[in-house]
Amino acid sequence: MSHAPRAWRAALGAALALALLAAPPPARAAAGGSITIGIPLEPPNLDPSATSAEATHDVLYANVFEGLTRIAEDGRVVPALARDWTISADGLRYRFHLRPGVRFHDGAPFSAAEARWTLERARASGSRNPLHDLLQPVRAIRVIDELTLDLELERPVAEILTYLGWGNLVMLSPASAAHAATAPIGTGPFRFREWRKGDAIVLERNPDYWGAPALLESVRFRIVPDAATGRAALLAGDVDAFSNFTAPENLAELGRDPRFTVVVGSTEGETLLAINNARPPLDDLRVRRALAHAVDRRAIIAGAMYGYGEPIGSHFPPHDPDYVDLTGRYPYDPARARALLAEAGYPRGLELTLRLPPPYYARRSGEIVVSQLAAAGVRVRIENIEWAQWLEQVFKNHDYDLTIVSHTEPMDYDIYARPSYYFGYHDARYAARLESLSRTRAPAERHRLLVELQQQLAEDCVNVWLFELPKLGVWRHDLHGLWHEAPVQGIDVTRAYLDAPASAGHARPGGRAPAVVLGTVALLAALLAALALRRHVDARYLAGRGAALALTLLAASLVIFVLVDVLPGDPAAYMMGLNASPAAVAALRADYGLDAPAWRQYLDWLGALAHGDLGLSYTYRVPVAELVAERLSVSLPLALLALALATLIAVPLALAAARRAGQRLDALLMGLAQAGLSIPNFWLGLLLILGLAVERHWFAAGGFPGWDAGLGPALRALALPAVALAVPQGCILARVLRRALGEALGEDYVRTARAKGLTPDAALVRHALPNALIPTLTVLGLQFSFLLAGAIIIETVFALPGLGRLIFQATAQRDLIVVRSVVLLLVASVVMVNFLVELLYAVVDPRLRRTGAP
Amino acid sequence: MSALRGWPVSVRLAALVLLGYALLALASLAGWLDHGLALDVAARLAPPSGRHWFGTDPLGRDVFAMVAAGARTSLAVALGAVLVGLAAGTPLGLLAAGRGGLTDELVARGNDLLFAFPALLLAVLLSAALGPGALTAVVAIGVFNVPVFARLVRGSALSLMTRDFVRAARLAGRGPLAIAFVHLLPNLAGLLLVQAAIQLALGISAEAGLSYVGLGAQPPAPSWGRMLNEAQTLVGVAPWLAVFPGLALALAVLALGVLGDGLAARLDPRGRR
Repeated sequence: MSHAPRAWRAALGAALALALLAAPPPARAAAGGSITIGIPLEPPNLDPSATSAEATHDVLYANVFEGLTRIAEDGRVVPALARDWTISADGLRYRFHLRPGVRFHDGAPFSAAEARWTLERARASGSRNPLHDLLQPVRAIRVIDELTLDLELERPVAEILTYLGWGNLVMLSPASAAHAATAPIGTGPFRFREWRKGDAIVLERNPDYWGAPALLESVRFRIVPDAATGRAALLAGDVDAFSNFTAPENLAELGRDPRFTVVVGSTEGETLLAINNARPPLDDLRVRRALAHAVDRRAIIAGAMYGYGEPIGSHFPPHDPDYVDLTGRYPYDPARARALLAEAGYPRGLELTLRLPPPYYARRSGEIVVSQLAAAGVRVRIENIEWAQWLEQVFKNHDYDLTIVSHTEPMDYDIYARPSYYFGYHDARYAARLESLSRTRAPAERHRLLVELQQQLAEDCVNVWLFELPKLGVWRHDLHGLWHEAPVQGIDVTRAYLDAPASAGHARPGGRAPAVVLGTVALLAALLAALALRRHVDARYLAGRGAALALTLLAASLVIFVLVDVLPGDPAAYMMGLNASPAAVAALRADYGLDAPAWRQYLDWLGALAHGDLGLSYTYRVPVAELVAERLSVSLPLALLALALATLIAVPLALAAARRAGQRLDALLMGLAQAGLSIPNFWLGLLLILGLAVERHWFAAGGFPGWDAGLGPALRALALPAVALAVPQGCILARVLRRALGEALGEDYVRTARAKGLTPDAALVRHALPNALIPTLTVLGLQFSFLLAGAIIIETVFALPGLGRLIFQATAQRDLIVVRSVVLLLVASVVMVNFLVELLYAVVDPRLRRTGAP
Repeated sequence: MSALRGWPVSVRLAALVLLGYALLALASLAGWLDHGLALDVAARLAPPSGRHWFGTDPLGRDVFAMVAAGARTSLAVALGAVLVGLAAGTPLGLLAAGRGGLTDELVARGNDLLFAFPALLLAVLLSAALGPGALTAVVAIGVFNVPVFARLVRGSALSLMTRDFVRAARLAGRGPLAIAFVHLLPNLAGLLLVQAAIQLALGISAEAGLSYVGLGAQPPAPSWGRMLNEAQTLVGVAPWLAVFPGLALALAVLALGVLGDGLAARLDPRGRR
């Protein structure tokens, strides 16, 4: 009994020592000041020319990339890489004079040739640029000299200077554009440093910037998927700013807190109850108007948005000078709504479904809308769906009755004239008005046309417009220079600064810590296995178990493939975003290999796996193995820590109870354990955050600084989640161990030991405990797999970038290759751990050495 | 109540608590608490009072009524999942024990396969494939229950098969399947009941976890997990939103655990600890 465990302990010790030695010293604080900005969604990629995902532009716009023009905070078009420009009298030729001496971050020069290349690439057929269609009136782009560029149009397009200022038309370098998805290289005052998948994107100051240099040393955009974590992270000081905070309920509280500045501005986001105009009975104007009368905007703004957000009655932002207030067109009047429905032939009301995408405003407004429509006799069923499904079902296939979404693109009233847009609205007069607007440059005439557009949409009641999405800015009181308004998608940090720079240092050098952690654990497992194999286990038994293992994994791979393959939602559509053309999506599908038959895809996947190749992530365009290693460096230490804590809770508890077997203390302790295991771990996590991270700043409220930040900060971030996981698991373990101890205490060898003169305590620890370890080990093994994969909920509570969240996120983004490979990997690890546990039996229990099985 | 005589106090208490939940769920099902579920934005975020025992939520709904309706969702999903597990797992286990050989091996491998999928992971995948909802949660949790019951039934059936009454039946010419279903199943009822209580507790936890991450019952159907999720941003303002659903959840799991333990102790003569 004594022999093997000693070797085992030595191996464990060596491995732990190795892990500690490998951890680098804490990082220094950066000079000049750095901030962390929270963003709700992770960008699908960092190529601004290939996606309309808001998250991508939030990080990159104006910071990393610049266009010929740019949109200023007040919405005006101002010069950027074009110093100035002239427009011919007929409005058909734009001549841009470019800034001299501009260089990309990789040193490549920027001149008229690069500008032409960028724009030609965007308007070429087969381009993946979302603005491709808007550039069709461009006839030619000419390089006049190194710093002069001509843009010639077929017909006047009054909005062209604005388009050139949007995030999709920023300037790229021919040398680096192909890798922009993962390594964006622009001309801006910040350059891209690092992307920790699922956690953060880091930008650093560009020392060679052509203009006024950025004031901050570096900026970290941290992905904070839900509002609760965001609030906690803000209060705990883990995040310095939210450009647009997603929990309006907390603004009053944060506004009262002297540590924060709260700025409520406006976005370009028209939030609307979209109606499928093509689908009966919603093709009936009376029915649509009934819906409009049944909805009470004020109650929605009060209930879902806590009063933030201005009501709108058409598709136009209230802060725009051309806005006309049409909110009174269909006053809230359920009786009128019922009458209209009766008139349309639905005296008993009707039944509809409402498909809601994930953002908080949609989900919350949805619940209120449903109860309001019910009062008018319209029974609505809610379906909460993910973005990938929304894009596929609602946006692409027009398979919906109602949905709620915010259209955040500026000047997007042209969507009502698009031939196959998801509203199903077609009207020749609207298209004609839009056409003449595009030809018109005289302000008064433009105003008249814009008002007419708004009025027509309201008259036709295409949608029920709810409110303009507010921009709820929250940041540290000593942080200045962030935008108050959001006239364009982007979080401009170029002029942001801190009162007291260098107080907050989040700078981190890159490192190989994940590899070290992984290596250590692999070593540990190998040592264990070798130990068990060499001494105790029969080879034939091993071969049999090995074959069964392989078979289980093969079956699992098939199950996983089938499950993942039937997931609704197209990965390519998700990647390309709202404005992608079908041809561009098809091109991407072919790129991913998604156009091959299913069996072919399955075999390809298995073949690659056999070579140890987990594939390339659709979303991040990096090897899945790299992603897994990154996430495992969070999940594995967390699982091990939780397991260690659980054992630490369980052993003393069980021993104390067993010492007093049958007495009151025994019952009390086991009752406590029963209560402990009944507490759901995510609730415990919530209470721990409230008590120890928010009220007292003892621990991080969420997020993970990375192992490079040093052992201390990393462990501080893992401590609370580990405790939340460990308490219920420890209590389960305690009960198992207590029962096993109880059985062992009744055995003859313990009685013999006692008769020999051993004290009860010594008998318990030296004789009963080792024997009770066997059933306990089984449970420990099961718990380890549970903790590795099942920590998904705790990872959500604490915003940890672990494996569970990777799967969750990859599923939502339809990054199918990641889902498949990671799930299979986890299944394999469960099977392996159970196998290792079986081997461990042989080490712990000499009676099992001959057969190797319990 | 005479049925409760002879049971320990803790078990009797647990049974009472569970009865309370059942009554709450029934009251909610009957619509007696529906007025509390109506939106009333003017009365939102009211602290606990005589009028609103557990306070109100951000949309002015009564938290007590929501907790009661949540009990309905929770119990329904967990019960459904246990039924799925029993309905599929018991025949599989009996089949494996009765037929032995290849059947046994196949069932064992199938169980291994299902066990290799961490439960939550499977639920996430299923929800993504079938769309989130109460029914998906039943399937996801139920699938996890199948191998639990199958293994339990197989193991116990095998040990029962060495008993004399089974041998007698075999000598009387009954086929292995008939023996399994007619002679073994009734003797397994107690064990199944204990396991059902445990799986019910696990199911309630799992349902809460799933709806916490948005994969359980969908709104407007209230659920404890989603209530906890929505309470998170408001812990500083309205702590009652996080406290009561969490307590309701923990208490239900605890009561089922105690009941399961009590039943197990009653069934197992060695179990008098």
